[in-house]
Amino acid sequence: MKHCLIVDDSRVVRTVAGRIVKDLSFTVSEAAHGAEALEICRKDMPDAILLDWNMPVMNGLDFLRALRREERGKEPIVVFCTNENDPEHISEAIRAGANEYIMKPFDADIVESKFSEVGLV
Amino acid sequence: MQDSTFNELADLALRLTGQHFAPSKSYLMEARLSHISRRESFATLDDLVHCLKARPNPRFDQEVAAALTSKRTQFFREREQLEQIVSHALPQRLKLSKNGRLRVWCAGASTGQDAWSLAMRLFEEVGSPLASADIEIVGTDVSTDCIETAGRGTYGHFEVQKGLSIHRLMTNFTRENSGDWTVSENLRGSVQFRRHNLLHPAQDLGAFDLIVCTHVISGLALSAQREVLTNLSRQLLPGGFLFAAPSERIEGIVDTLKPSREMRGAFERDTTQQGIVAA
Repeated sequence: MKHCLIVDDSRVVRTVAGRIVKDLSFTVSEAAHGAEALEICRKDMPDAILLDWNMPVMNGLDFLRALRREERGKEPIVVFCTNENDPEHISEAIRAGANEYIMKPFDADIVESKFSEVGLV
Repeated sequence: MQDSTFNELADLALRLTGQHFAPSKSYLMEARLSHISRRESFATLDDLVHCLKARPNPRFDQEVAAALTSKRTQFFREREQLEQIVSHALPQRLKLSKNGRLRVWCAGASTGQDAWSLAMRLFEEVGSPLASADIEIVGTDVSTDCIETAGRGTYGHFEVQKGLSIHRLMTNFTRENSGDWTVSENLRGSVQFRRHNLLHPAQDLGAFDLIVCTHVISGLALSAQREVLTNLSRQLLPGGFLFAAPSERIEGIVDTLKPSREMRGAFERDTTQQGIVAA
């Protein structure tokens, strides 16, 4: 099974997203901020990362830039999942290495559609 | 909903749009007519039907029948088929075109996603012969509301996130202050939308190289399927293609269309059959 890391400071979002991603046949791990996510990636690089933008300690954009500099950091498919819905933020995320972008609020169909766009399902 | 109300509405839908409603689908009627009921302050659909009978109004009949049609669609819904259209059907037609012009009819276009998806996909054909072709896309639907939405090209947060990659969204849409997204000007020149009932002859629309009519035929009564397919085939140029959804079974309903040997879900106009005259 593929492994998806869900990075969001909201436990509710992690739980809801986790259920959706499990239904798409992924194993799921969770992190509450970018620094925690980076530690998990260094130990066990996931296949996919569902990534919030605004989080304490290390935000999603800084995490993504740091991830892409890691030895195997270009491997995971990164899908931003955030309230930052304006084109400037989206462009910045893509420039930093995001593969797809989900604008909150989201539902299971959106996650499946976006995962399908990047070949995860 | 009373049985008599269901029967009246099912009869109206069959008569005006050819749709078949089984009694088990009465919940769909309730859902699809809820906005008209609210707007007109009908407490129940029984009241709405009572009004239809007590105060005959052909325009309101049409509106109710159009509201009963399925609006379900999404961007890039039939993705493989779209690739067949862009990589095979349209290039084949372009080779036969004397003036580099091609016409595509998205029949039963609902709120426009199929037509805009084709326009987006064609916009990506940089460097291919299709890039320099003059391709006109005409989307039609029986519902005035749907056609207005399609023409505006403005879609909500959830609609633009199903079937559209973020790259396509950013390339082909602009974000409104409301949070909705509107199709960019660069796509608008090639696409137009018109109200049209597929049960009616379509000479006014002209002849087409390609007709895309997906997830429409299968919802119709058999007699309406024959009528609609006959009307569609009459507008198909010789050698042109009709695309239905691959899941729809329309083979053999009319003699004027034969399945394509090369493309799944595609049908070619059978030029050996009589009675087909494209406008």
